[in-house]
Amino acid sequence: MGRIFTLDLEGNVYSCKYCHTHLALFEDILSKRFLCKHGEAYLFDKVVNVMVGEKEERNMLTGMHTVVDIFCVGCGSIVGWKYEAAHEESQQYKVGKFILERWQLLP
Amino acid sequence: MARLLQSEEDEVIGSKGVIKKVEFVQIIAKALYSLGYKKSGAHLEEESGIPLHSSAVNMFMHQILDGNWGESVATLHSIGLKDESTVKSASFLILEQKFFELLDGGKVMDALKTLRTEIAHLCASSNQLRELSSNLVSFSHDLRAKSRPKLLQELQELLPPTIMVPERRLEQLVEQALTLQRDACVFHNSLDREISLYTDHQCGRDQIPSRTLQILEAHSDEVWFLNFSHNGKYLASSSNDQSAIIWEVGTNGEVSLKHKLSGHHKPVSSVSWSSDDGKLLTCGVEESVRCWDVSSGECLHVYEKSGPGLVSCGWSPDGKSIFSGVNDRSICMWDLDGKEVENWKGQRTLRISDLEITRDGKQIMSIFKETAILLFDREAKSERVIEEDQTITSFSLSRDNRYLLVNLVGPEIHLWNIDGDINLVAKYKGHKRTRFVIKSCFGGSEQAFVASGSEDSQVYIWHRGSEELIGKLSGHSGSVNCVSWNPVNPHMLASASDDGTIRIWGLNSHLQQHKKLQQVHSNGGSMAAAYNGRT
Repeated sequence: MGRIFTLDLEGNVYSCKYCHTHLALFEDILSKRFLCKHGEAYLFDKVVNVMVGEKEERNMLTGMHTVVDIFCVGCGSIVGWKYEAAHEESQQYKVGKFILERWQLLP
Repeated sequence: MARLLQSEEDEVIGSKGVIKKVEFVQIIAKALYSLGYKKSGAHLEEESGIPLHSSAVNMFMHQILDGNWGESVATLHSIGLKDESTVKSASFLILEQKFFELLDGGKVMDALKTLRTEIAHLCASSNQLRELSSNLVSFSHDLRAKSRPKLLQELQELLPPTIMVPERRLEQLVEQALTLQRDACVFHNSLDREISLYTDHQCGRDQIPSRTLQILEAHSDEVWFLNFSHNGKYLASSSNDQSAIIWEVGTNGEVSLKHKLSGHHKPVSSVSWSSDDGKLLTCGVEESVRCWDVSSGECLHVYEKSGPGLVSCGWSPDGKSIFSGVNDRSICMWDLDGKEVENWKGQRTLRISDLEITRDGKQIMSIFKETAILLFDREAKSERVIEEDQTITSFSLSRDNRYLLVNLVGPEIHLWNIDGDINLVAKYKGHKRTRFVIKSCFGGSEQAFVASGSEDSQVYIWHRGSEELIGKLSGHSGSVNCVSWNPVNPHMLASASDDGTIRIWGLNSHLQQHKKLQQVHSNGGSMAAAYNGRT
């Protein structure tokens, strides 16, 4: 499927568990206290090598948010989501940031 | 001779009333004289009552051509020049001519007298005076004075246009108009420079390639890259099928397979033509670079490093060295025999990056950071950087080496000027990209267009200057990864796709000429099965 474009990260890297494409650096974690249906999820400041899906309104534990699912460019697996908008003032800090589901990641 | 009435002097002509009749007639008269039609020129002056030059200027011109230097300088003062420095410069030129003519005639004492009494006070600096006087003592076989008509020409350039109509003014005005028409022509893509004066020039959209003329099916997997040779006679393509192919462009524009280049054990990500198009480099992804002879198809050499893999390739313009990016971030240079001649360590390139070398062999360009391209001058050992605001996926250098077309994740394409100060010139949008390396290129007559591949299987074409999207070419059934515009034929564009084919695009009118679409098959290879089940 074409020559896939990926960036290489340097340092402690989280990669996609299926195809090992680099996704984010340990140091870019903003919070480890998120949950998804498969368990733990981390909030990241920056994530690379992902493509985004359609915008959706999702009712989460912390309220209504506008999110887009993110997929690994290497294998297409869904790895988490990105916050596009938050309906509550207290949740604005998440906007523009990414969630990666822990169970999708290596190590 | 008929005389102009005072009221006629301010007369204007033309539909917009901005053309002064007197000036108009004068530049026509000047053009007639330039073309050699002296009688017509003189007749026009008489019939219109508009003299080309005032009588003082006419006298001045005769005096120059006759060599009446003293009188000409006197006339100069009565012509009506407002600027003292112009009078001074013109007087200097005239007397300098007098000086040199005297010297050439052997009249050294007279020349010295002229220098002392007439020229000295006109000299701009003592250096100038010294230079002139050095002529008195040096001996020269050649004539030092220029011809008198040449002097007249120089004086004409010095004097304001209101005093003496500049040479070729009418030609200049016509050329300006034609240039404006040509620049305004959005679809301008004509090879012929036969712009007529009879009507305004305007190309139609039919000058842009828009129809598939041929589908080339010799690769057995996705085609990732292609590029026409400098002379436009060949096309080289490279594929995920681990091969590269050299195609030949026939005299009738038909493309046929010339050589299939096998040997790589990894997908071939790019190719590079030597300046004389005699050799081709191919790069296997994180593997080796191979050098092939274009006419025989033979592999001449394999360049590799023990350990790191090579990620890009490029020729030095003199054809004696090969450059390659390495996946350890360095760039190295080999001679043709495979001896590593130089190695630039440090972060010079990324794992996925293009490599471009300027025609003078001095600058090497590659993506060295997520959002930046490095342009380093290997001679001057200096570096310049293009900083982008988003991740860069690929780039290409214009043939005149003055511009860089940068593809970003956006997707967006940015045009940068790299000649002198680096600055962003234009942006092109509309195409689609989420996962792949998609390449774009310049093309068309005068490189007036930008073309790009797109993940929606179409070829996108923009007008370079206006950034307007002017064409979306459909036909491929998979992502279009790369496009290349024939540098010699502005009506031929090639595209490489994930559907395993290459399409040759041409003008709508060319399609009518072809009796049927040509399909080229590899020698005994399979074609149709190749793209079943591929995304």
